[in-house]
Amino acid sequence: MEAAALAPSLKNIAPQQEYLLQGSILDTHRDVLLHRLRGLCDNAERNFEAFSDYEAVYVLRNSSTAQQSQNQHVTFRVRHALDHSDAPDHIRYLGQAELGDRSRHTLVRACLDVACSSNVRDFLTEMGFRIDHDYVVKGHFFHKGRMKVTVYKIFRLIQPNKTDPHNLEPLGQSHLVELSVVAPLGQEQIGEDMKNFAEQLKPLVLLEKFDHRKIQ
Amino acid sequence: MQPPQTNEEKQLDLALDDLIQRVRELKQGVSSFIYKLENDYQNISWPNMMEHFGVLSSGLSSIKRLLKTEKMPLLRNYVLFPILLSPDRDPHLEKLTEGRVSAFNHEVVPDYLRTKPEPEVEEKVQMLSSKAASITPEVAQKQLTMLNKITSNILDIINASSDDWDKDSASLRNALPPTTSQQETAMLIAAVTKGVRLRRQDSQGQMSPAPQMGSMPTQQHQQQPLPQKPQMPGSGIGRVPSAVKTNIKAAVTSHPYQRP
Amino acid sequence: MGVSCVFSYPVPEGRSGAQVVDILQKQVETMGGSKTGTFYVDCETYQSVMLNPPKTLHILHNSEYPASCFAILDSGATLVADTLFIALMSNLKNIYQAWKGAKIESKGNRFQLADFILKIGSVSLAGSFKGILLEVEYCPCIVASECWAMLKELLQSLIGNIAESPPSALKKKKWMKSTPQQPQCCSTWTISTTLGKLPP
Repeated sequence: MEAAALAPSLKNIAPQQEYLLQGSILDTHRDVLLHRLRGLCDNAERNFEAFSDYEAVYVLRNSSTAQQSQNQHVTFRVRHALDHSDAPDHIRYLGQAELGDRSRHTLVRACLDVACSSNVRDFLTEMGFRIDHDYVVKGHFFHKGRMKVTVYKIFRLIQPNKTDPHNLEPLGQSHLVELSVVAPLGQEQIGEDMKNFAEQLKPLVLLEKFDHRKIQ
Repeated sequence: MQPPQTNEEKQLDLALDDLIQRVRELKQGVSSFIYKLENDYQNISWPNMMEHFGVLSSGLSSIKRLLKTEKMPLLRNYVLFPILLSPDRDPHLEKLTEGRVSAFNHEVVPDYLRTKPEPEVEEKVQMLSSKAASITPEVAQKQLTMLNKITSNILDIINASSDDWDKDSASLRNALPPTTSQQETAMLIAAVTKGVRLRRQDSQGQMSPAPQMGSMPTQQHQQQPLPQKPQMPGSGIGRVPSAVKTNIKAAVTSHPYQRP
Repeated sequence: MGVSCVFSYPVPEGRSGAQVVDILQKQVETMGGSKTGTFYVDCETYQSVMLNPPKTLHILHNSEYPASCFAILDSGATLVADTLFIALMSNLKNIYQAWKGAKIESKGNRFQLADFILKIGSVSLAGSFKGILLEVEYCPCIVASECWAMLKELLQSLIGNIAESPPSALKKKKWMKSTPQQPQCCSTWTISTTLGKLPP
């Protein structure tokens, strides 16, 4: 309410980083992994927490320089919970994932999550963004301390803009497994914790820092 | 008047003081633990309990170590013998023992100053050793080989089954179908990070930003007083072939996130 | 939650803004209003570079919604988001650039008078005084068209015939009032104050 209290809060935006390890599990073995995660993570007595999100990836390019500078574009990801329609939408900005040297155990990328009203897709389009692709993810999430584990399936939309189950086509025969922590930069201890946690899931899942530059 | 202490006596005094100190600490530890068990048992957790045991056992072993050190004189070379037994209460003794022994009398002295096992125990030991002695060397040898044989047999069985078990689990691991596939991982990560295999190839998909424009008219209506910009589907992209517009309109109705 | 309306209050010749604000505040207090703290509204403007057609984006903060910010495009599209939205904008700095010297803010005192909340703020553009805005909010009702009579009655005793006619947007759900000297801030402020009251 106080003007003085408002102003500084706007300036102190601590840059957040996402520490990330990725792997996958074949659909047939997913339940084994879920049970193991349930045992390893917090709230073991609770049932699996499921999520179901629609994500649309928007790109903003400089229209006049579209030809020569493909790299000069910004990507925003808009997420919307399909199972909690009253939850706010999210804009997520992810930076380039850095591999780092051997001493670093995880990928690190800039990460910014902003909750917003549900007209965000219209708004981004108005701002000049263009939808690049969209998909639905369904799966489960776990947390242990500040580590978050998600096990989810990616679905392609057969017809655009329809997220009902008949319109979803699963991608591949595996679930993607991600172990991540969002924290301010420079907390290398997190990487150590995450590596230890990943060790416990072997040989079921190999969680690694996957070089995103290899993707064609 | 005390006789002048020899070096040996001084050392004994020091060692005894040290020992008494340690025993007292241990005793305090035990009594506080007992107190906790009796009065505060509902708050005691298993790790907590183990911690207490750990402290006590380390106290015991440090006393043991102390007895074995070079500096400690050989206590067994010292003899303690009671000079005077009295049936009367001895307040000094009572204080020293914290009320456990009130008099240095004939009843308690045999128990406290005992250096040999109790007679019954001694009798039992005697019996067993005489039984052992009665066996002839040949019989003993025979029994020994028998025992060795049995032991080695059991060892063999255990080794064999542990080998089997190892092999089983190893082969099980090999036989188990892989639970994860590098290719799948790469494909899924490519999809979530770069949209590989998720991007639409057909032209209709390319235009998918346009359906969001469908809800714009309502918005314009609400915000009339603001300066208006011409609203064109795909404005800002500027490469929209007009022929596709009909398709866009059709998609509007099915758009799940349309504003009410 | 209520219906609110923003008016620009003219500063007469020979008087300073601070004096006029003072007079207005005294008047509100005479009417029985009690001060309930301060308020703060600001607006930063971003302009697109090399986008065709060019676009302008305003980002507003309002102390009534300290954890939110409101993004408004010149086309009228609005978005309510976390204050972190500013950090997103810094990632767009190659395409949307902050317009230096276009930061408008309005701050002043907030009064409560029975069911009404009154805010009297002096508006400054890049630090220099530009005018006075008065916001009146009628809390118990959220149907804008039903509130004009109530608001008018209160406003006429406070600012006289400035409040003679309702804002032209009265028939719509939102209230807008642009003024010649502060069109941008006034309209965007209005958007911000009304947006938060409508379900996003």
